[in-house]
Amino acid sequence: MNPDYRELLALLAPECAVVLAAFAVLLVDLRFRGKRTIEGRMVLGATVLTVGLGCAAALLFWNPVSADLLGGSLVLSPVTRHLKFVLVALSIVAAWFCTESAFTRHVGEFMALVALATAGLMFLVGTENLLVVFVALELAGVSLYAMTAFDKRGPRPAEAALRYFLFGGIAAAATLYGFGLLYGLGGSLRLPVLAAALAGRGGDPLVQAAIVLVVSGFGFKIAAVPFHLWAPDAYEGAPAPAAAFIASGSKIAGFFVLWKLLQGGLVGVAGNAGWKSMEPGWLPVVALVAAASMVFGTLAALAQTGLRRLMAYSAVAHAGYALLALAGGSQPALLYYAVTYALAATGAFGVIAILENRAGGDSIANLAGLRERSPLLAVSLTVFVLSLAGIPPLAGFIGKLGAFVAVSKLGAGQRHGWLVVVALASSCVSLYYYLRILRQVWIAPGGTGGGIRAGVAGWIAAALALATLLLGCDPERLLRFLR
Amino acid sequence: MERVAEFLWIIPALPLLAAAAIALMRRRHRRPAATLAIGSLVLAFVASCVAFAATLRPAAGEGLVRLHHDFAWFEVGGAAFRAGWLLDPLSAGMLVMVTFVGSLIFVFSVGYMAHDANFTRFFGFLSLFAAAMLGLLVANNLLVLFMCWELVGLASYLLIGFWFSKPEAATAAKKAFIATRIGDLGFLIGIVWLHHATGSLLFYDDGAGCLEQGAIARLVAATTVGGMAVSTAISLLLFCGAIGKSGQLPLHVWLPDAMEGPTPVSALIHAATMVAAGVFLVARVYPLMAASPAGTDVGAGAHAAHTTALAVVTWVGALTAVFGALVAVAQDDIKRILAYSTISQLGYMMMGLGTGGPAVGMLHLVVHAFFKALLFLGAGSVIHGCGGEQDIRRMGGLRRAMPVTFATYAVGMMALSGFPLVFSGFWSKDAILHAAMVWEPSRIPFVLGLCGAALTAFYMTRQMWFVFFAPRVGTPHGEPHESPGTMTVPLVVLAAATVLLAVPATPAWPWFHAYLAGHLDELHAGWNAGAGVVAAMAWSILAVAVGVAVSWRLYSRTPAGTDAIEIALPRVFRALRARLYVDEFYAATFHRLARWASLASDWADRFFWGTIVDSTAWIARGVAWVGRVFDNDAVDAGFDAGCEGTRGAGKWASRIQNGQTQRYLRLLAAGIVAIVAVLAWSGTR
Repeated sequence: MNPDYRELLALLAPECAVVLAAFAVLLVDLRFRGKRTIEGRMVLGATVLTVGLGCAAALLFWNPVSADLLGGSLVLSPVTRHLKFVLVALSIVAAWFCTESAFTRHVGEFMALVALATAGLMFLVGTENLLVVFVALELAGVSLYAMTAFDKRGPRPAEAALRYFLFGGIAAAATLYGFGLLYGLGGSLRLPVLAAALAGRGGDPLVQAAIVLVVSGFGFKIAAVPFHLWAPDAYEGAPAPAAAFIASGSKIAGFFVLWKLLQGGLVGVAGNAGWKSMEPGWLPVVALVAAASMVFGTLAALAQTGLRRLMAYSAVAHAGYALLALAGGSQPALLYYAVTYALAATGAFGVIAILENRAGGDSIANLAGLRERSPLLAVSLTVFVLSLAGIPPLAGFIGKLGAFVAVSKLGAGQRHGWLVVVALASSCVSLYYYLRILRQVWIAPGGTGGGIRAGVAGWIAAALALATLLLGCDPERLLRFLR
Repeated sequence: MERVAEFLWIIPALPLLAAAAIALMRRRHRRPAATLAIGSLVLAFVASCVAFAATLRPAAGEGLVRLHHDFAWFEVGGAAFRAGWLLDPLSAGMLVMVTFVGSLIFVFSVGYMAHDANFTRFFGFLSLFAAAMLGLLVANNLLVLFMCWELVGLASYLLIGFWFSKPEAATAAKKAFIATRIGDLGFLIGIVWLHHATGSLLFYDDGAGCLEQGAIARLVAATTVGGMAVSTAISLLLFCGAIGKSGQLPLHVWLPDAMEGPTPVSALIHAATMVAAGVFLVARVYPLMAASPAGTDVGAGAHAAHTTALAVVTWVGALTAVFGALVAVAQDDIKRILAYSTISQLGYMMMGLGTGGPAVGMLHLVVHAFFKALLFLGAGSVIHGCGGEQDIRRMGGLRRAMPVTFATYAVGMMALSGFPLVFSGFWSKDAILHAAMVWEPSRIPFVLGLCGAALTAFYMTRQMWFVFFAPRVGTPHGEPHESPGTMTVPLVVLAAATVLLAVPATPAWPWFHAYLAGHLDELHAGWNAGAGVVAAMAWSILAVAVGVAVSWRLYSRTPAGTDAIEIALPRVFRALRARLYVDEFYAATFHRLARWASLASDWADRFFWGTIVDSTAWIARGVAWVGRVFDNDAVDAGFDAGCEGTRGAGKWASRIQNGQTQRYLRLLAAGIVAIVAVLAWSGTR
C-alpha cells in the first residue's frame, strides 16, 4: 500500500483550510489585541473565521464526491460532504454568536478552538477507521473542553469544564478499550472488515463488552443517559457559543459515527430489543439507553428554572429520540433528526446568548414580556421551542415522526412498539415544559426594561427559525441530501 | 350580434364590481368611491346601448329580437338547473332607461350627499342596487330574477334606513322589507308551482321555456281549485310579488314611508326603477297572464287578451291609481305627495298592462321613470336649497330663488299631470286611457282613470302653487338658494328627455309600440290612430284642464299657510291626510292579529315546548352531573395524581445532579454495570 500523499492532501484540503483559518484568526487577533474593544475583536475574529470556513466550504464543493484512502482512514461520500457543510455552517453561526457577549479577552484563542473542534468533527465524519475515529474524537473533544472553560468570570465554567473533561476522559478510555477489543476480535481497524468478521457472534461476551464500552463512549458524546451527567453543568457553564456548538455540531458528528459503528461495523451483532424477545447485541443496549434518556431527560427538564439546564435535559431526551431512528436503521431519519435538532438548539442558544447579554440571565422567569421587548426573538424562540416539542409543520415534527416510523418498522417478530410508546409518552409530557417557556414569552405580563436589540445573532437566529419552518414544510429538500 | 346575449352579464357585473370595491374602501375615500360608482354605471349604460342596438334589427322573418344565452348553473341529482341571460326589446329598453336615469341620479347624489359622513357607503349601496336591478332585467330564469328581486329589496332596505340613527328611517326600512316580503311569499309559491308544473324556470329556451307555447298550453289545460286554470293561479301568485314591489293596493303602505331615505334614493329606487320592477315582472310573464284556452297571444300585440289574471291586474291598477291620487291631495310633505303620485302612476301602468298589453304599460313605465326621477330630484333640490325643509306649506316663492329647479320641476309636473301634446306623459297616459276605454269587460276602470287624471292635475298644481308661487313664508333655515351644478345638470337633462320622449310615444309615430311588439319594419309615420284615440284624448285633456283650473282657482285665493280643501271639507281632508286610515286599519287588524298569534305562540313556547325542552335539559344535566363527578373524582384526580407524580419524579431526577463529581462518576459506573447486567440477562434466556 503506497499512499499518494498529494491526493490525500487534495482530499483533505477543506480540513486543512479549517486549520489554517484557526491560525489566521489567532494571528489577526494578535495583531489587534489591545487596539480594539473585545466586541470589535469578536466581530473581526468571526469575520476571519467566516472567510476561512467559507473557503473550506468552497473546497468541499470542488472536492470529489466519493473516495476511499489509506484503508478507510478517509472516506468521502455525498452524505459526509453534506454533513461537513452543515458542520462548517454551524461553526460559523457559533462564531457569530460570540459577538453577542464579551465573555473572554482571549478572542483569538476561542475562535481558533472553534475552528479546531470543527476540523476534528470533520475528520470524525469522514473516516471509517477506528484509530482515526479516536484521534478525531479527541481533537474535537479537547477543543470543546477548553471552550467550555473559557468564561473565567466565575467559578462555574471551570468546574463544568473539569467535569466535562473527567467524563470525556473516562469515555475516551471506554471507547479506546472497546476499539481495542474490536480490533482483537476482528483483526482490523476498518469497519467493513470488522463487520464481516463479527457477523453472528452476538453471544460472545467479549463482543458484548466491546459493545457496551463503545456505546458508553459515544453515549457521552451525544449525552444519553446514564452518560449525560456532564451535560447540564457544561450547558450551564459554557459560553453560549460553545454550548451551542456542543449541542449541535458535536452531536451531529457523534450520531453519524455511532451510526457507522453500529449499523456498519457491528451490523452483524445487532441482537433484538423487542418486547419479551430480547437477544444480546447492541440493539438492546441502544434501546435501553434511548428509553432511559427519553424518560429521564423529560422528567428532569420539568423541574428546571433556567433555560440552559432545560435545554440540557431536553437534549438528553432528544438523544433518546434520535437513538430510536438509529435503532430503526434509517440513516436519513437519524441525520434529519440530528440536523434539524442542531438547527433548533443552536438557534435557541443564540436567543439565550442575547438574553443573557441584554436581559440579565437565562432564567425562564426572565422571558416575561419578551413578546413586547423583541418580537423577532420571541417569534424565533417560539419556532425553536415548538420544533423541539415536535409540533407540525416544523422540522422537529417530521424528525420525530421519521424516528418513530423507523423504529416501528423494524423487522417482523421484533416487537419494538414499547419504545414508541415510551417516546410518545415522554414527548407528550415534554410539551409541559416547552409550553411553559412559551407561556412566559407570550402570556405572562412583565417586560421590565425596554426593547432588546436583536443584532447579528438575533438575525441569524431568525434565519435558523425560518430554516426550521421551511425544512418542516418541505422535508424532502433536506432528506435527499442525507441518503 | 347573435353573441350579445352571451356577454349580457357584463352589464350587472360592472356596478357589482364597483360595489365590491367600494365596500373595501375607507370612509375617507369619497372621491374614488363616487368616481367608481358613476364610472361603472356609465359603462353599463354604454353596454346597454350596444345591447339595445342589437335588438333594433330583427333577423328576416322574425318580428322580434329575442336572444338568450343559457348555461347549467348547478346540478341536483341528474338534472341540471339552467340559468341564463335574455335580451329582448323589453329588457333592452329597461336596461337603457335604468342605466341612463341611474347615472344621472348618481351624479345628482354627489351634490346631494356631499355633507354626509357615510358618503362612501352610500355609493356602495347605490351600486349594489344598480347591479341587482340590472341583473333582474337580464335574467332569463325566474329564480335568478327572484334572487335579484330580493337583492333589490335588500338594497332598498339598506338605503331607506341609510340614516339609521333616525328612528323613522329604521322603522320605514323594516316596514318596506316586511310589506314587500308578504307579496314575495306569493311570488315564491308561484315560482315553485311554475317549476313543478313546467319543469323549467327559463323564460325562453327554444320552445322548452316556461313562457313558450308548449308550457303555456299545458298550464292552461290543467285546472286547479274551483275550476281555475293553473296558468291563472300561477299568474295571480306572481302578481302578488308585483303588488308588494310596486306598491299596489293593499300593500302600498311601505312606499310613502320609504321617503325617509335620502332623496336620490327615493328618486332612483322608489320612483324610477325598483317599484317599476313589479310592472316589469307582469310584462315579462305577460304570455302567461294572457294565456287563455282560446289561444295564447304570445306576440304581446296591440290587442290585449281578456283573462281573469289580466282583469285582476286591471282592477287593482285602477283602484290604486285613484286611491294614490286621492291621498296625495291632502299631503304636505313634498316627497310624500310624490310617493302617493308614484303609487297612483304605478296603478296606471298596471291598468295599461291589463287592458292594453305590455307595450302600453311599459311605455308609461319608461316615460314615468324619467319625469318622476326629474320630480324627485327637483324635490331634492328644493329640500337641499331650503336647508332640509320638506313641508310645502313652509316654502313658497321659490320660483325666483331657484329658477332652474323651478323650470325643470314645471316640466316634470306637466308631464305627470298629462299636459297635452309636447309632454311624453300625456301620450303614455292617453294610451292607457284609450286602452281602458275600449276594454270590453267594463268601462269603470276608464272612469276611475279619468278621475285619477283630474286628481293628479289637481294635486300637482297644488304642490306647484305652494312651493313656487305662494307668498314666501319665513323658515328657520335661512334664505333658499339654487343648487350646485351636479344637481341642476341632471335636472336639465331629465327635463329634456321628458319632452323628447314624447316623439316616439305619439300615435303619429308609435315607434315604441312597434319596437316592443316587434314590428318595427311595419312602422310608418302618419296618423295611426282611430277615432277612439281622439275621444280618449279629448276626455283626458278635459280631465287635466278641470283639475288644474279648480286647483289653481282654489289655492291662489286662500290665505298663506292654510289649505283650501281643509277649510271647505275638513272631514274629508282629515281622512285623506290620514291616508284613508289604511295604516290604522292594518294596525287594528293585522298587527293585532299578529300580536295575538305571537302571544299564543309565546304561550305555547313557554308552557308546551318549554316543558319538553326543560325536561330534556334536566335529563342532560343529570347525565352531565354524573359525568362531572366521574370526571372530577376519577379522571381528573387520576390525571392530577399522574401530573403530581411526574413532577415529583422530575424533582427527584434533577436532584440526582447535586454537583458532586464523584457521585456522577459513581452513577456512570452503576449505569454501565446495569447495562451489562441487562445484556447478560438477555443472553441467558
